[in-house]
Amino acid sequence: MFKKVGAEVITVSTDTKFVHLAWQRDEKLLEKVKYPMGSDPTGKLSRLFGVYDEDSGLALRGTFIISPDGILLNSEVNFYNLGRNIDEILRKVTANVHLAANQAEACPAQWHKVGDKTLKPSAKMVGKVYEALK
Amino acid sequence: MTEPIETLRVGHHVPDFKLETFDPAKSDFSEISLAAQKTAKKWTVLFFYPADFTFV
Repeated sequence: MFKKVGAEVITVSTDTKFVHLAWQRDEKLLEKVKYPMGSDPTGKLSRLFGVYDEDSGLALRGTFIISPDGILLNSEVNFYNLGRNIDEILRKVTANVHLAANQAEACPAQWHKVGDKTLKPSAKMVGKVYEALK
Repeated sequence: MTEPIETLRVGHHVPDFKLETFDPAKSDFSEISLAAQKTAKKWTVLFFYPADFTFV
């Protein structure tokens, strides 16, 4: 789903690439996985993104969306016990792709997919967002 | 003594990075880099998680 919108998902943990190989081979839930599984055993990349837990040597559940120009556009970090919603991540990636192609627009809170109503922020809209969303 | 690495902020450039990977699509070890992603004009979604063989 992500590839269709021009995005590459790369998972990262502090496990070595050998553990990734063993896990993908073993766990039936991962059978269909085609995304690269990144290995950050020194924690260098995890520290750069602010998700490295010095006490455990593990990475927190962080998701980061980077544009093709290399700008960090979105960041979401959860503590260990709360999984992330993949639909929401796909929604944000799709929104970002749309917004990069339509720079005068903004996606309001209710935006879910391409075709949903967007806003074109301007002086005329100040105090009149209700009307703009109707 | 290693220098402290400044963490990123949303809206800022991400410095180039490289990661060793296991790529199930190739059934082999490989490497990805942000530079290669940018050259290919792709969006990158980095998905960090604590550990393999765990649950959530």
